Amino acid sequence: MSTNVMGVFEFEDEFIGALRRLKESGFDELTAMSPIPLHEADRILGFGKSPVRRYTLAGTIIGAAMGFAMAVATALTFILPTAGRPIITIPPYLIISYEMTILFGVLFTLLGFHVVSGLPAWRDRIYLPASNVDRFTLVVECAEAEKSMLAENIILESGAEEVSRVEGDR
Amino acid sequence: MADYVEPTYAEVNQDVLRAMMETGPKYWATLGTSIAVAGICFFIPWFYQLEVGVGVAGMNRSAVWGTYLSNFIFWIGLSHSGTLLSAVLHITNSSWRKAIYRSAEAMTLFSLITAALFVMVHLGRVWFVHWTVPVPNQMGLWPNFRSPLMFDVMAITTYLTASSIFIYMGSVPDFAAVRDASTGLRRKLYTIFSFGWRGTAKEWHTLGWAYTFFAVLVIPLAVSVHSIVSWDFALSLVPGLHHTVFAPYFVTGAIFSGTAGIVTVMFLLRKYMNFERYIREIHLVNLGKLLVLLSLIWTYINIMEVFTTWFSGSSYELEALEWRLTGFYAPMFWEMVLFCAVVPLLILFKRIRTSWRSMLIISILINIGMISERFIIVATSQPRKFLPNAFGFYFPSAIEISITIGSFAVFTTLFLIFVKWVPAVSLYEVKETLKPLRRSR
Amino acid sequence: MSTALEKFKKYRKPGYYDKFDYHWTMSIDLDRCTGCEACVVACQAENNLPIVGEQQFAMRREIKWIRIERYWEGEYPDIKLQFIPMLCQHCDQAPCEIACPVFATYHNQDGLNTQVYNRCIGTRTCAVYCPYEVRFFNWFTYEWDEPLEQQLNPDVTVREKGVMEKCTFCIQRIRQAKDAAKDDSRRRVRDGEIKPACVQSCPTEAMVFGDLNDPDSQVSKMARNPRGYHVLEELNTTPSIVYLKRVHTDG
Repeated sequence: MSTNVMGVFEFEDEFIGALRRLKESGFDELTAMSPIPLHEADRILGFGKSPVRRYTLAGTIIGAAMGFAMAVATALTFILPTAGRPIITIPPYLIISYEMTILFGVLFTLLGFHVVSGLPAWRDRIYLPASNVDRFTLVVECAEAEKSMLAENIILESGAEEVSRVEGDR
Repeated sequence: MADYVEPTYAEVNQDVLRAMMETGPKYWATLGTSIAVAGICFFIPWFYQLEVGVGVAGMNRSAVWGTYLSNFIFWIGLSHSGTLLSAVLHITNSSWRKAIYRSAEAMTLFSLITAALFVMVHLGRVWFVHWTVPVPNQMGLWPNFRSPLMFDVMAITTYLTASSIFIYMGSVPDFAAVRDASTGLRRKLYTIFSFGWRGTAKEWHTLGWAYTFFAVLVIPLAVSVHSIVSWDFALSLVPGLHHTVFAPYFVTGAIFSGTAGIVTVMFLLRKYMNFERYIREIHLVNLGKLLVLLSLIWTYINIMEVFTTWFSGSSYELEALEWRLTGFYAPMFWEMVLFCAVVPLLILFKRIRTSWRSMLIISILINIGMISERFIIVATSQPRKFLPNAFGFYFPSAIEISITIGSFAVFTTLFLIFVKWVPAVSLYEVKETLKPLRRSR
Repeated sequence: MSTALEKFKKYRKPGYYDKFDYHWTMSIDLDRCTGCEACVVACQAENNLPIVGEQQFAMRREIKWIRIERYWEGEYPDIKLQFIPMLCQHCDQAPCEIACPVFATYHNQDGLNTQVYNRCIGTRTCAVYCPYEVRFFNWFTYEWDEPLEQQLNPDVTVREKGVMEKCTFCIQRIRQAKDAAKDDSRRRVRDGEIKPACVQSCPTEAMVFGDLNDPDSQVSKMARNPRGYHVLEELNTTPSIVYLKRVHTDG
């Protein structure tokens, strides 16, 4: 039975300090909530390059290929010559391809965002509304009781306003 | 401003959410008026036109395109600064963007919708407009991807999709803030809108990456959209339209008019939603500088367009140019030159640049000039094509003028609805620009 | 694999067709044209062209698939009058055709620039792109007062509002002639068998219609005439109408 320890901070630098110390003490199950993106927190929690970029790349490649293929395939289903142009015209179809590249790039990035971030998550999870206003909150999952004592100590020493044990889905 | 006190994080939430959630009688009056104007000036004439035929407009042979199309270009143009500017400033890390970008992007979205409405108004048989979309239809026929209009369909649908995703994703953390600050039905709705956002480091990190990719993808898209709109004209043989300079000309004009539009919207937001602490002089001055730059580019391209036309020596081109510079619509042409090339130079004076009122007037004048520019492009080229026998004349009818006026009400209505549904200033990005909350300060 | 490559080459061929089945062409001898406008009336009767009324005419919304353009040269009393019958040129590289997003106008195997009314959504782009100004838009659904609706040609549709229309070279007559040729088990239509309404009604026989693919047809001979030229040839639209005019060098 694991317990969740939640610490609430008023200041960004203390919050970052607590995160760093928890990480160094071997706590890996950390959730950091903040009203603004903190690049320092990303670094501590080990978020490097996001896998979203793979989705974007895949989307643009698929879009480019599909765009051109769609233009060619639809032109071949009905042979309707216009204006002395060939049926498969390269420059206009490249424009279609270009637009589809961007469309699919955007849609796949959106998909990637949802997959990577785990959103939408409309279930109840541990959350402190103030952390979306002006508080920095961290939740650390501890496997054993003594571990959670250690975590509480670290959080308090770092300068937290409040420490509590909370139930729920992290 | 020496007496400027930075708001705290909590104050940011309070101010912005109050502006969004508290609705006074003034707001309802404005919304009611704009819905009424949109209905009376835009939709009723449009339905009448659908019933009777496009003939109720003033278009005729040789000028089969009219104000509907020029307004379409204008609205597409106005849409150009929001998302584009926001994306450029995002990837160049300009922090002054952050207070204004949400409303700028909303402007993009709603002017795009208005522009799309104008396509519908323009079409002769709008009830078959779905034939231009690449989905199977009852004829088993696909659209013609070799047509510049199809480029347009693809570009505008992509742009609409991309900019709505862009603005939505940027608002997700703010939807969460609205959720936390509200109760009842609104809370339920915003729980859904915010995807259950908690602001964890993972979520911020992913959003940051995704948002940057959106920005990177939107920039070439926005440039391509107005280039493609210009190709609707430039791919024809019509003298006065068949110019290679048209794509950069349209893109510059679009960003120009859109930036002026942002200044106008910024003024109104600041004044009527009490955002004085967030929309500040620095925004005005920076946008002013951008306006001067864009005005100079626009002027240069205009001079080049006239010069290359004159230098070509082609009698058709010269005929069209002469009609444009000295014909019936010449006053409009010179008014455009005055408003778009001369008036923006006033921004070079510091007193004008830093005054909200003078910038509001300049921004409105620029957009009047840009409407005229689009009208001139459409109305002075077609009546002077090749065969003198078919030379014509175009003047908009009362219905067209009414629909043009109504379109502004449509835009205003959408925007007014928007400010009550989405925080008009991005909460988290404004917080990022404030002094960080540090004890060791 | 080689067939796929051949197919690809075929689809990459400009204009798609190696050769049209028929290359319908018209020659108009301007030295013979008297400007009587019989062709205009004949076209009106044959193709169910609506009469738009006085007010719409004043707004330049008349629908005349063929019109006589009239140009004055010089000053009175030393004055000359020139006529040019102007109708759809059925260009091989038609500027109007690239414009249509829904394939309402395309090039058929007879070299005709066709307009499919049912597909048209009324963007009017083709009319803007056309340098000859021979595309006409139905601004309203026009009606024929009784008993005029009795004279409508049953072989031709009546167009509704919001649709672009233009000269078809009387495609209904071409169709009938081709069917008749097939019924007689002939491979091709005889020269002179098809006469569009304007050609048929021309009192001075200034207009000749026929197949340019047949080198012996009358129109081919006319096309080889040294007086021949195309209107707005410099735009490179390669029109199917050859105008014949003796150039006056005396000024």
